[in-house]
Amino acid sequence: MRIFDPHIHMTSRTTDDYERMAAAGVRALVEPAFWLGQPRTNPGSFTDYFDALIGWEPFRASQYGIRHHCTIALNPKEANDPRCREVLPLLPRYLAKDRVVAVGETGYDSMTAEEDEVFAVQLQLAREHGLPALVHTPHRDKVTGTRRSLDVVKESGIDPGMVVLDHLNEPTVGEVAGTGCWMGFSIYPDTKMSPERMVAILREYGLERMLVNSAADWGKSDPLLTLRTGEAMLAAGFSADDVDRVLWRNPVEFYGQSGRLDLDEDAAAEATFAGNSILRGGS
Amino acid sequence: MSLRFGYGTNGFANHRLADALDVIAELGYTGVALTLDHAHVDPYAIDVKDQVARTARLLAERELAVVVETGARYLLDPRRKHAPTFLHEDAPRRVDFLKRAVDIAAELNAEAVSFWAGVRPAHVSADVAWQLLAEGCAEVVAYAAERGVAPGFEPEPGMLVETLADWQRLRDLVGEQLKLTLDIGHCCANEPVGVEECVRIAGPHLVNVQIDDMRRGVHEHLEFGTGEIDFPPVLRALADTGYTGLVAVELPRHSHAAPEVAARSLTFLRAAQWLGDALDKIARDPAAIATLLPAARRGVGRAAAEDARVRLLHAAAPGADAAAELYRYGDNDEKRAVLLACPAPDLVRDALRSNDTRLVAAALGPGARDLPAAEWRQGVLKSVFMGLPLSGVDGLAERADTELGRMLAALRHEREAAGRTMPADAVELLERLH
Repeated sequence: MRIFDPHIHMTSRTTDDYERMAAAGVRALVEPAFWLGQPRTNPGSFTDYFDALIGWEPFRASQYGIRHHCTIALNPKEANDPRCREVLPLLPRYLAKDRVVAVGETGYDSMTAEEDEVFAVQLQLAREHGLPALVHTPHRDKVTGTRRSLDVVKESGIDPGMVVLDHLNEPTVGEVAGTGCWMGFSIYPDTKMSPERMVAILREYGLERMLVNSAADWGKSDPLLTLRTGEAMLAAGFSADDVDRVLWRNPVEFYGQSGRLDLDEDAAAEATFAGNSILRGGS
Repeated sequence: MSLRFGYGTNGFANHRLADALDVIAELGYTGVALTLDHAHVDPYAIDVKDQVARTARLLAERELAVVVETGARYLLDPRRKHAPTFLHEDAPRRVDFLKRAVDIAAELNAEAVSFWAGVRPAHVSADVAWQLLAEGCAEVVAYAAERGVAPGFEPEPGMLVETLADWQRLRDLVGEQLKLTLDIGHCCANEPVGVEECVRIAGPHLVNVQIDDMRRGVHEHLEFGTGEIDFPPVLRALADTGYTGLVAVELPRHSHAAPEVAARSLTFLRAAQWLGDALDKIARDPAAIATLLPAARRGVGRAAAEDARVRLLHAAAPGADAAAELYRYGDNDEKRAVLLACPAPDLVRDALRSNDTRLVAAALGPGARDLPAAEWRQGVLKSVFMGLPLSGVDGLAERADTELGRMLAALRHEREAAGRTMPADAVELLERLH
């Protein structure tokens, strides 16, 4: 089974995770820029984070044969802080980088006017840079937030095929199916989706424009729930080709629209990044 | 508007036509410049109609556009290259051939048919030659007009019409229906003005463009990058004329390695086009460097990326603050380009603090000239420590002093104590200094 995790926050994970992921078949991933569990208070801490997403983290992943890409945006939660919004003028510099394959995560947290504005601005940035957009749907009032997100997407003029609405579940998937947008599902140990619920959704809605991710981050989460979903699909009678479509070809198709996916199997990993390695006690 | 690149089948003379079209289409070319020749659609073959119908099908299946070229060397006369031309006694055979070419072009729905004057034979006076040429061309142009084919006349070095000025003279004689085929390489070889200016002059009349590299005064079609032409601004100028026809690579002497040459050529042209467009954007808005610098590798490929970044930076000529921002928000490839193109002491210091050998090497280039001696010595010592060759250190012979010699000797002492060696170039330097 080859796996492309279209949403995982590796910055918060250890090299043990990389090792387990590689062993499980994860060969490529996308790490969306998001909040770090604790508020940031200035644009500089965003840009240092972005630098890591295009620098150190792809290097760490490469040591395990995993292709790392990222998405760049001001996340909805921190869009409410005027000190953080100062990062917006800096985003174009990062959206032009090689391994940046989408604008994201953008969307809603509490559906404030500030979030409205930042969401709309960032969808325009996606259009200007020819990039897909990764839209985070809110944890609270999810159905309303999903509908409102779809309205903003429609108003922006962006091609719906360039947009994924993520963290969907049973109450929200029906809102997105049929809009032309992609549907993302985060499989979590306890909350959000489980592999079995995911399989039921795939049965009902089909495999087209479906993305399954672990969204593993600094919280209680599991980078291997993509694999577990693939296994659950097989157990439920889906074919190996179906699993490959959902866990590999779909994310390649969606993020491939950026023209920036780097899936070259033969490329050898560099021994160091900017002279530094992950070998403790070495350089 | 993106240019449409094609490849001349005269550069695939050792391939069957169908195979050549396969390779050209697979590489990503938009069209072909089809030279009618004995092995590639022979206008004199008994089955020419079938050949043309089959070629039309091959082109359609591969979604290739086409222009028809008529420069075959021995198609009409097995003993005399290019003969007869408009300027020979048997010029009607040339005219007849060109009419056949027009018919084939019409059948293939070609965007143009291209032809040239020929070399003036010694016994034919210039006045007579021009008269013969004008008469022959007028007949071909009228025939082409009836069949809706664009007649592109190509100035060719050494021939009666060899410059754009000559072409203008012919057009005055023949009429405005005479259009133009321009070979970009020729512009470098023999035109009195620069290649970009030639393209601007030619623009309104163009129906066909050939492209190749060349050197001044030498009519030899060269692979891109081996001649003297700076292609990025030329391609930008060509796009700015509004020309929408094919721009076909003309390398008739590279058939022996056609697939590789064709692959390299398209890579080169796409990169040159990206760079030309990027330089144009920067000329209009220097701040565009902020997003063009990070995109350079995608635009021109890894091997050419550093040169492209440096060129973009020279074009943008950022002030100290803008350069510092490009450095700050750059990845290490971008930082290195800033150090090479527009260094400042603070940026050099930052680079020397890093563990990245490529940054340290770039920092010790001309950008380190303004560093105080103590910092410069530390930089050189660090580069030796990291295993970098001293040949890359700018002004080493003038700046190296006894203090640097002492520091290097101390490093050697430590290395020897640990059973390790010093690089030979560092040993040589410290022995000279100490």
